[in-house]
Amino acid sequence: MIRFLDISNHTLFWYYVASNIAYLIMLLVALKTSALHQRRLESHCLGWVKQNRMVPPITIIAPAHNEEASIRVAVRNLLELDYPELEVIVVNDGSEDRTLDELREAFQLRLVRAVYVPQAKCALVRGLYRSDVDGRLLVVDKEAGGSKADAVNAGLNAATSPYVCVVDSDSLLERDALLRITLPILEDPKRVVAVGGIIRVLNGSEIAGGQLRRIRLPRKSIEVIQVIEYLRAFLIGREAWAQGNMLMIISGAFGLFRTDLVRAVGGYRSSSMGEDIDLVARLHRHLREKGSDYEIRFVPDPMCWTEVPSDLKSLGRQRARWQKGLLDVLWPNRDMLFRPRYGRIGWIALPYLWLFELLAPVLETVGIATIILASCLGALNRQFFLEFLIFGYAFATLISIGSVLQEEVTYKRYNDWKDVVRLVSYCFLEHFPYRQLHMIWRLQGMWQYLRGDRTWKPLKRTGLASIGAR
Amino acid sequence: MESIFEKFWRLGPAAFVVKAVFAAIIGNALLLAFILLRRAYRRRYFARRDARVFEWRQKWDSLISGKIPYEKWRKKPFDRRIIEAMVLDAFEAATPAESARLLNFLRASGLIEKRVFEARRLVGWRRMRALVALGRTRAPEGIPALAEALRDRNLEVRLAALRGLGRTASPQAAEEILSWVSETGLSVPALPLQSALIQCCAERPQILLPYVQQAKGPLREALGRVLGEVATPSLALDLLQFVGDDLDELRAAAARAMSHTRSGLAFDLLNELARDKVWFVRLRAIVSLGKLSDPRAVSALLRGLRDSNRLVRLRAAEALIELKTDRLWILQQVVETQDRYAFHAYLTALENANLREELESGIRANAAVLPDEKRRLLNVLHKGSLTPEKPAEAEAISREPVLQP
Repeated sequence: MIRFLDISNHTLFWYYVASNIAYLIMLLVALKTSALHQRRLESHCLGWVKQNRMVPPITIIAPAHNEEASIRVAVRNLLELDYPELEVIVVNDGSEDRTLDELREAFQLRLVRAVYVPQAKCALVRGLYRSDVDGRLLVVDKEAGGSKADAVNAGLNAATSPYVCVVDSDSLLERDALLRITLPILEDPKRVVAVGGIIRVLNGSEIAGGQLRRIRLPRKSIEVIQVIEYLRAFLIGREAWAQGNMLMIISGAFGLFRTDLVRAVGGYRSSSMGEDIDLVARLHRHLREKGSDYEIRFVPDPMCWTEVPSDLKSLGRQRARWQKGLLDVLWPNRDMLFRPRYGRIGWIALPYLWLFELLAPVLETVGIATIILASCLGALNRQFFLEFLIFGYAFATLISIGSVLQEEVTYKRYNDWKDVVRLVSYCFLEHFPYRQLHMIWRLQGMWQYLRGDRTWKPLKRTGLASIGAR
Repeated sequence: MESIFEKFWRLGPAAFVVKAVFAAIIGNALLLAFILLRRAYRRRYFARRDARVFEWRQKWDSLISGKIPYEKWRKKPFDRRIIEAMVLDAFEAATPAESARLLNFLRASGLIEKRVFEARRLVGWRRMRALVALGRTRAPEGIPALAEALRDRNLEVRLAALRGLGRTASPQAAEEILSWVSETGLSVPALPLQSALIQCCAERPQILLPYVQQAKGPLREALGRVLGEVATPSLALDLLQFVGDDLDELRAAAARAMSHTRSGLAFDLLNELARDKVWFVRLRAIVSLGKLSDPRAVSALLRGLRDSNRLVRLRAAEALIELKTDRLWILQQVVETQDRYAFHAYLTALENANLREELESGIRANAAVLPDEKRRLLNVLHKGSLTPEKPAEAEAISREPVLQP
């Protein structure tokens, strides 16, 4: 038993060291990449991009399910985006509230028969509406498909542009977000097939007329911790993975894709729990199998602001769903692991996701259990354990502060001193008990998935209109 | 001598962790100090900068007219940077007269000269910054320095030079770019090159022709696209040579360019290109046929309406809607095709243009159409699907998840 505990503790120690080294490397890569990106931006005047006759038309697809509270603000925000060739498709995914009525009233919709080719699978479309106020707006009214993927597929079938940008209808894009996210495509349209933008936390900020007026840190601790998580995930994780062309996730709230490729892989998988990661995984698979020379990029400055859960129950549901989504993607794609034809995706990105994302809550739980057991049996070196705990705490804080530093050095959206002080303080406070709770939610997600529970429970949100009113 | 791995192993986890703890704590302290000091510094810097910008803004006219001696600010890097940034920003929204005034100021104050010097002598990011500033001035004297930078080893510098040259929108810059690409080949992504050339060749597109003829491979394709964007009616005859070209992009460019010409020859060639094997060549031809506004194009557009590619169908439908020809007659032709995709595309274009009701009233009011035919056409328009002459097909349409209003 003692021997087993010893081996187990050693294994977990090295697992933890490996995961921290991976994070440290990512932080360093991200800091360097951001600095380069900032310099590169100096030679891009966005005004020039707007005047460029070669900018590709983009169709924005915004699925909406029971979004009566925020749909007007969100659609107005999309139509006000600074981009010369834009089409906006809002998909009303069988809303039971007044979402469609709100759209009808605000944008004077009339029933039309726009081009709709049902290439990607989705639930029955009841009608297509075009706005008399702004001809660029098309609303697809369909029966509820039970997933966001289903709704996006309906939008994809109606899209007429070579690129589609999928956004959440409860999110706000910064006015120049599309111009910024298009830059990698303008640089290399043949190789760049998809681009991800950054998602930031909207809670606490002020909105007026469909635009962000003042960016503030949220008031609740649980929301502030999510701000740090988002900064860490996007400004460190995705920035670094994209450098090696190994980006596996483009957030469902804001991503740009080549339309023909999304159609070629059959659109979004309706039954998928994590449609965003699923699509990117299938794009990698498709392009690698074809032997294409391609890139999936991440750009850290086109910003999309989204409302995050503000209570533990909703947050728990969301995190459980994310974990289910991850498992739902990694398991069917397990044949890509360590296969030369999938290159670095099969050798680095997917094994990392398996080991340090999917299995992390399981390994952490086993670790805690064996440490407690070893302690009870007197097989634990207490001094070493204490030092290890301090190291773990200090290192995790270092990574979090590193992400705040990234934000400070590059994008600097929180101008208020108080906000920065709070943000840094929470870098020290997030490790207990939030991390442990997070681990439990993720375990729950895995358990639900293994039991066959694939239901999607809606999260409690206050809506953009009420955020703006605060 | 023992290896690094052996040394590391001998340290054991405990020693490693103790060291790591210290490293992590020091790292945290350094990061925090950096964030706070940087914030404090930037706060002071921007307060000072804003105050200075305000001061110069108050004296803007005296500054630009040269009443304030240039020596007063030129030797102070802080002021020089502020003034240069203000002038370059003003350029972006200036009228031609205002632009000329600003350019005179930049010349007289020696700012352009300084940037030309930097663009030639500096390297890396500092060179890039000088090139961007030079491009923003649109000064012809900056073109040679920008052209020299096209030969830089750093891709970012080359791209900055390319954008700068594009910004000047001058044929001289186009010549520099074209001679560089024909010498070195395509050493930058195609799109920035095309954008720059489109801006620079707009005035004299014929300078492109010899280069397109000589170029090979991807460069020829890229230049062909530029040609398609900037072609004018005067180039129509020159473009005929590309109608049968092996390169799809060049045939598409020729098709695009011929929309600008009114000759009968253009119509025949576009008609031919509208049957091309490559969809985007057909697309360009259909769009160009639509732009010709020639009633003879109807048959080609109706054929385009039945194309296998949905974009071609949609553009053909839009072109048919734009035509001045009798819409009722066109609708009859569309219905005659008995092609539901063609009909759907036409209906889409009709409704996007908000013309369905107008067409319906036109049918009702038209005395020349037989009542049965009227009923049939109105029924088709109202139902949004072709008459159920073929039950199997009608059923297939109704099963599709497309609306049936």
